[in-house]
Amino acid sequence: MILLCGIPSETPLAMVRAQLDNLDIPYVVFNQRRFAAMTMAFELSAGQVTGRLQVEGRSYRLEEFGGVYTRLMDDQRLPELCDAPADAPQRRACRALHDTLIHWCELAPARVVNRTAAMASNGSKPYQTQLIRAHGFAVPETLITNDPDLVRAFHQQHRRVIYKSISGVRSIVHTLEGEDFERLDRIRWCPTQFQAFVEGTNVRVHTIGTRVFATAIHTQATDYRYAQRQGGEASLHAMELPDELAERCLKLAQALGLAFAGIDLKLTPDKHAYCFEVNPSPAFSYYEAHTGQPIAHAVACYLAGTLG
Amino acid sequence: MWLVLCTSRDTSALWASQGLKARGLEPLECVSAEMLAQSQRWEHRIDAQGATIDITLADGRHIRNDAIQGVLNRLVCMPFEPLRLAHPADREYASQELTAFCLSWLYALPLPVINRATPQGLAGQWRHRSEWLGLAACAGLSTPLYRKTSEDASDERDGQGRFVPSDTPVQTVFVVADQVVGATLLPHIRHGCRRLAELSHTALLGIEFAASSVDPWTFAGATPLPDLQLGGEALLDALASALRGQQELQP
Repeated sequence: MILLCGIPSETPLAMVRAQLDNLDIPYVVFNQRRFAAMTMAFELSAGQVTGRLQVEGRSYRLEEFGGVYTRLMDDQRLPELCDAPADAPQRRACRALHDTLIHWCELAPARVVNRTAAMASNGSKPYQTQLIRAHGFAVPETLITNDPDLVRAFHQQHRRVIYKSISGVRSIVHTLEGEDFERLDRIRWCPTQFQAFVEGTNVRVHTIGTRVFATAIHTQATDYRYAQRQGGEASLHAMELPDELAERCLKLAQALGLAFAGIDLKLTPDKHAYCFEVNPSPAFSYYEAHTGQPIAHAVACYLAGTLG
Repeated sequence: MWLVLCTSRDTSALWASQGLKARGLEPLECVSAEMLAQSQRWEHRIDAQGATIDITLADGRHIRNDAIQGVLNRLVCMPFEPLRLAHPADREYASQELTAFCLSWLYALPLPVINRATPQGLAGQWRHRSEWLGLAACAGLSTPLYRKTSEDASDERDGQGRFVPSDTPVQTVFVVADQVVGATLLPHIRHGCRRLAELSHTALLGIEFAASSVDPWTFAGATPLPDLQLGGEALLDALASALRGQQELQP
């Protein structure tokens, strides 16, 4: 039995659910928006976890779940709670339910895609960069500072520099140019991250279990995810990675504890593989829609323990 | 130079700084979170060679990784004053940025670092008590029964800490690298404590035990930020040894 957690209409979750239907694999949906119709309890005794999940009046033993796919949104921002005050009982009940689910996921001996603790490295991009570098990938030269003079010198050295958030919030990549220099003094209030721009082809690598799906993205935009906003276009094509690089991606995801990962690479003309970040909750649907790569199928098989 | 990072109210760390100095760890700089938050200049770089930091404190002192021999890290947060002045719409974002930055430069400190920064805690990984319990059971320690239900109040605040009421007498044991300090233990409990530190990837771990009807040494909680004074001189000896690089630390 598989547990799918999130909003059922959310595209990646819906795609995995469709694949489970195709494969005739039983599943239960933990629909966050129906939190009032669910209860959950678990017990830990001498290291063994047992418990029950009640969904819409039906009860399931937690030990039955061999796979869990979590695409949870912040439960306090659910539409059902938008009018509820901060201390409303339904808010507290919703939080307690999610709290129980999340802590069970950390302990459950199931295939969890992905556990909360493993996802945390993405909350600090330069921290994750240090882990990425330790796994043999090239990383872009990075400067985080509150000193505008250092930034000017960094720009002088590299000619093309980008800036982006340090945390996972407001994570859009921009080129440092024009008016940015006029407001550079503002960084004195908050250290800011700058990186040397790396020329090459963007590649998104999805790893799931032992499978690797690579997508090449051709674009003139600084951040291909926002190509239209940045006045460009992006075209996506499935590609094969060299075996050694595919293996390195798998080892990186494994070292970060991620059963499913979206790894952002750039392959340079001189054949170096730069790694920018590892997304622990990849919205793979965008890539699958453009390339036809069977990523949702692989996730469903992984959850069912049949990926091989 | 050795470095002790802590808040200005962390009497435990201030006590440890004096004890480490007395054991010959000199020069030793004790830098508070408040001082760090008022630093004049931050420079943190990452490239093919690794990660570096160069922090200029308000009093002109520098923290550079090439001058550091070892770090006792007790930072749990950084009270950045300018955040109070930020526009409310930007305050949360700026706070996340600064926390993410702290994690990265703390992680870049040269080893040995006790404890190394993690995404779940700047001075070592904080875990929900159900996770500690799971790890303690894996480590072979005697553990109490734990229940959690969605009917319980959400326990974000008390999710960490002891499994026993606060007035229950506990024995605190410390693991520093592979040394176990703090109480006379049976070999299998000593082994379990070391194993728990190993499983939790924590260089300095405080472990509490309470007597139960089943076992006089029942696991009652663990923390990467224990009260160091409870460990006395023996703990300072172990810390000094580990900070001199004489012990292999958990990553």
